[in-house]
Amino acid sequence: MLMLAWRNIIRNARRSLITVAAVSLGLAALLFLWGFNDGVHNSMMRNLQQVIIGSIQIHKAGFFKSPKLSCDIRRPDDIRHAIASYVDISSWRLRTFALAAGDETSEGLVLLGMDPAQEKKVTRIAGKVSRGRFLSENDTTSCVLGLTTARNLGVSLGDDVVFLSEDRFGSLAADKFRLIGIIDSGEMGIDRGLAIVPLAYIQSWLSMEGRYSEVVLQTSRESLEALTAELRARLEPMGYEVLRWYDMYPVMRQWVDLENGFYYIFLGIVLLIVAAGIMNTVLMSMLDRIREFGVMMALGCSKSRLAGMVVSESLMLAIIGIIIGTTIGLLLVAWFHHAGIDLSSQMDTIQRFYINTLIRTEIDTDHLLNTVLSVLLAASAASLVPVWRVMLLQPVEAIHHV
Amino acid sequence: MNASDNGTASMEGWDSPLIQARDLSRHFHSSQVEVVALDGVNFDLQHGAFSVLAGRSGSGKTTLLNILGTLDMPDAGALNISGRDVLKLSTAERADFRLMHMGFIFQAYNLIRVLSARENVAYVLQLRGVARDERLRIADTWLAEVGLEGLESRRPDQLSGGQQQRVAVARALASEPDIVLADEPTANLDSHTGEALMQLMRALNEKRGTTFLIASHDPVAMDAGKELLMMEDGRIVEQHRQ
Ligand SMILES: Nc1ncnc2c1ncn2[C@@H]1O[C@H](COP(=O)(O)OP(=O)(O)OP(=O)(O)O)[C@@H](O)[C@H]1O
Ligand SMILES: [Mg+2]
Repeated sequence: MLMLAWRNIIRNARRSLITVAAVSLGLAALLFLWGFNDGVHNSMMRNLQQVIIGSIQIHKAGFFKSPKLSCDIRRPDDIRHAIASYVDISSWRLRTFALAAGDETSEGLVLLGMDPAQEKKVTRIAGKVSRGRFLSENDTTSCVLGLTTARNLGVSLGDDVVFLSEDRFGSLAADKFRLIGIIDSGEMGIDRGLAIVPLAYIQSWLSMEGRYSEVVLQTSRESLEALTAELRARLEPMGYEVLRWYDMYPVMRQWVDLENGFYYIFLGIVLLIVAAGIMNTVLMSMLDRIREFGVMMALGCSKSRLAGMVVSESLMLAIIGIIIGTTIGLLLVAWFHHAGIDLSSQMDTIQRFYINTLIRTEIDTDHLLNTVLSVLLAASAASLVPVWRVMLLQPVEAIHHV
Repeated sequence: MNASDNGTASMEGWDSPLIQARDLSRHFHSSQVEVVALDGVNFDLQHGAFSVLAGRSGSGKTTLLNILGTLDMPDAGALNISGRDVLKLSTAERADFRLMHMGFIFQAYNLIRVLSARENVAYVLQLRGVARDERLRIADTWLAEVGLEGLESRRPDQLSGGQQQRVAVARALASEPDIVLADEPTANLDSHTGEALMQLMRALNEKRGTTFLIASHDPVAMDAGKELLMMEDGRIVEQHRQ
């Protein structure tokens, strides 16, 4: 029966080739577009995690909603033990609010205490300093500011900035920090309202020795969910919260989901075209053979068997198209993964901090599978009309069909 | 010879003839007129018969053959083939009945275009579930029997009309059916080829005992029949041996 279906496909080679070509081109184009889309999205999401916020942050429960200095991690060993079996590196930070006063004005900002050695292993924030340098081990009263904040305060490299904050006991603390580095990222949350200072120094300054606000971990996308679940199981009962990057920064995730949604709509349109093409081919080749179908029915071939043959023809066309299309699509994705697509001329790098100008295509497994399965499903759906025609066929009319 | 009008006449005890047709009628409702294609057909066909169903165009030969072949259903009457009340069968059961009991030869374009002569003959055996090697072997035997040795691998479009009809004969016989129904098998052939085809079928009838019912208004075909059934206006008006 399959042999018969196959022979019918090659009998009308031209028609079949056009259909297969349409399916493969459609699929290859879809896969390439997914590759571009996923390449941009995934690098964006990776960048977001790697620049400063990490994949996972652990805080005292409630800290993310209301980040108060008093909502701190007092028993770091709880967390060290919990994470030890999963990750070797983590960045331990202290976060509080401060008022920064420059020569001209003052501005409220987040004061983030970082251990420079640790931080360099976990995030890439150090590399984002565009003027001056990042903190180093021996720094004490040094700070790194975003460009906007530095401008607002009217300070430049080497100037002093005064930070006013409260220590653990609520007493006013004030100190002078020298501006040693400026980050010009184009990203509002970093360029404005953020001051990075040495962890050890502000811990003692704010009477927070041995206490932390956030622990930052990096993990791969594949292990993110499992790791979060395991850490939550261990740490939540102890009064900690374990947040994924998108729990903290949902906008990018929502944006990615929205864009993927548009891709799925586009996929639907392409599938309709593919389905129409296959249906047309199978229906035409069927109409060519009405008489032959009549003879086959007369010989005792059941309608379900005939229908099976028609479905096989659709599926064979689809599967050949899928094999070719997937091969071409994945080759394109692989090629542009290595070669990259350089969009630096199209893109203002300063404004698109998280997007690489060299897009490396990659495709998510679920997008690949969904797309391929959808094409297969569309092909099956496309064979329903010819099958329905077969079911209505009367042997006598079919035999005398001209 | 009395069957009830609703076509559910009792067939019990009628086990001797191969085909028993009682009061078969078939009407067609065209746009305005109602055509009575069969108007109470009664006849028996014995095992081993080689009968020609003759009659002028429009007399109802094809309609009758379609009903005998379980491809079409009568409006009324009773029909028993090989001891089975075939009018009681479902669509799927009729397909199966044809597969197990009947062979068909049509006027032309009998063959599946994409299959070779051998595969065309083997096709019915495949439907019956005969293993591949076995069915191809049987197919070759039958092709040799109808004089097509050496042409087994040809596709239908590489065969002449007469050769194609011979393949159809081989296919009809390969499954060793109770009866072969042929509708105008010689109509597209020249009289020489037509006569040869009739002689081939008659020889097979004599050698194998296969029953043939051949609808034709071709004088060549009529001459070859051992028995003649004459149709006129949807009835069988005459049945005689010749
Ligand atoms: N599907 C149909 N719809 C309407 N009328 C039909 C149909 N099939 C057959 N008829 C009519 O029934 C009558 C018998 O037709 P049938 O085809 O059985 O004749 P036939 O003896 O086979 O003729 P021929 O020798 O030309 O093949 C004709 O009047 C024909 O027009
Ligand atoms: Mg006819």
